[in-house]
Amino acid sequence: MNKLWKTKTSVVNPESESPAPQDLILQVSDLVVSYGSIQVLHGVSLDIRRGELVSICGVNGAGKSTILKSIAGILKPRSGSVCFKNMDVTGKKPEQLHKLGISLVPEGRDIFPTLTVEENLRIGSFGRHEPKRYAEDLEDFFHLFPILKERYHQAGGLLSGGEQQMLAIARGLISHPDLLMMDEPSLGLSPNRVDQIFDLILELKSRGITILLVEQNASRALRIADRTYLFSNGRIEYAGKPDEMGSEVDITSVYLGAKEGGMAS
Amino acid sequence: MSTHRHFLSNCEAAPAARPQSTSSYFSFANKWSTVVLLISGLVAIGAFIWWLNIPFIEDIFTSSAITLTMVLGFQLYMGNSGILNWSYIGYAGIGAFASAIFSMEPAVKTMQIPTMYPFLIKLHLPFSLALIAGALTAMAVAALVAWPLMRLSDSVGAITQFALLIVFNVVLSQWSQVTNGPRTFTLGGLRYTTLWVALGVASVVLAAVFYFKESPVGLKLRATRDDRHAARSSGINLVSTRYIGYITSAFIGGLAGGLFSHYILSITAASFYLHDLFVILSMLVIGGSMSVSGAFFGTLLVTLARQGLRQVELGLTRSGFEASGATEIVLAILMIVFLIWRPNGITGGEELTWNSIRRRLKSFTGRKKQSAKSQQQED
Repeated sequence: MNKLWKTKTSVVNPESESPAPQDLILQVSDLVVSYGSIQVLHGVSLDIRRGELVSICGVNGAGKSTILKSIAGILKPRSGSVCFKNMDVTGKKPEQLHKLGISLVPEGRDIFPTLTVEENLRIGSFGRHEPKRYAEDLEDFFHLFPILKERYHQAGGLLSGGEQQMLAIARGLISHPDLLMMDEPSLGLSPNRVDQIFDLILELKSRGITILLVEQNASRALRIADRTYLFSNGRIEYAGKPDEMGSEVDITSVYLGAKEGGMAS
Repeated sequence: MSTHRHFLSNCEAAPAARPQSTSSYFSFANKWSTVVLLISGLVAIGAFIWWLNIPFIEDIFTSSAITLTMVLGFQLYMGNSGILNWSYIGYAGIGAFASAIFSMEPAVKTMQIPTMYPFLIKLHLPFSLALIAGALTAMAVAALVAWPLMRLSDSVGAITQFALLIVFNVVLSQWSQVTNGPRTFTLGGLRYTTLWVALGVASVVLAAVFYFKESPVGLKLRATRDDRHAARSSGINLVSTRYIGYITSAFIGGLAGGLFSHYILSITAASFYLHDLFVILSMLVIGGSMSVSGAFFGTLLVTLARQGLRQVELGLTRSGFEASGATEIVLAILMIVFLIWRPNGITGGEELTWNSIRRRLKSFTGRKKQSAKSQQQED
């Protein structure tokens, strides 16, 4: 399990309609989540197989970040369940879920700004790591993220936006997660940084890492995803292969909120 | 890609030309140079003052070494967790009374504090052990009360700590059988806390606090300070990490309290209340709460300022002006000014290291050369 990102553990066939249960790494069923009295997710079900890259898209406020936070344990669901590696993990604390192998790269480059790059990475390795392999992994990381080697002893807050995003992803990866969740990794980055981030995601995918990606840059995300979920108002509008989405749902109406009878003026 | 603005951003071009050494030996040595520099500074000042042999200055140094120990323990929790720990001074009080009870001769205790519980009167330990036992008592109290409070952050966390301080103060000032109640608790023994004892403890504590900051627990605690949600999703247990920091801080507070009581030799619960908390808080804020160097330089600076101001105050009072309390006002204003313009204190939250001194020197000489050059051009 530890060599997860260096070897392809399993080759997934996204075509197969009913995956074997051992292939399923995450199963979310009928999840209802609310912030205080405002319900954000109205019974969402999704599943992810090992080695898959699944993207979640939808407009602002559709509940994309909320589902990631709920899976990571930051938000407690009101009802419904989350199963991870055939284990019911509903309501577990974030630190417990991290130990089990769920890693969240939060939105807005949530790194630790006063800690150095080195310390940020070390934080990620706590709990789920054999110290012996840390150095080895770092070498691998410096290959993936050359900028981090250059800035190794600088405070995280001094890095540029794109570098901070790289650091956040690296921190999420260094714990060898079984499921890596990324929340808007390209948000607010310059176009060539966005290219770098997407190249990186593809590289991670080719290494066999299971990824759940929330992305506003829907066209880019759809191009690289195996499957996609389209969220709208806390519900799933579409689930399936990205290239078939256009024919199944009226994307414009989902994105622009024009349901029946045209746009509300 | 330089969207992130920071006061150091003009150095951003530098790393390419001067690749940061990732050699672990050099970075390790540079990191720990902080401890070497600060302790040798402390010992040098102490030795010089000891050599001068002027009792008045020796007293100032000894009491500021005790204060330094206290500020270091305060920094350990507040600096690394970002939570203002009001109750800290209460642990210093517990340590002060407990170590005094442990170290005093039973005969002296019966004479000084006749109301004391008989089983406490029987206790007797040599000074060094009494000091540690007092600190352990403070730590044990912290360990008992702190767990449910560690979940609370921000202002709620600070308010609960404040309430806890009130509890400590009332108990210390009313429990006649232990602390002699509101009356003065006189130790009636030798002054065990000499210049060298205070200096030695402060040095050991300085190294320990620095070690804590760099240890896995300290690193986790600093991560929770930066962003507790991100820290939790990185597998950090918020409550237990804070708990360890808090009780370690209480231990050092107790140690400093014990040094204090064996230096001043007569204490009351009022010696460990808001006024003293304000002094150590101003030291930490002015120095920079996020670094051990900040605690050190804050203590140094505020001690010097207070001594200077006290002389001014005395002079004014002698010449007819009523100026008592001026020191506190100046200190408070200084603290406000720092919080507005330099919230990270004079150190900016950085540690003093070889590299930082070298850089400072280089930029200083560089500026000199530049100004010389520009003068030449003007000529």
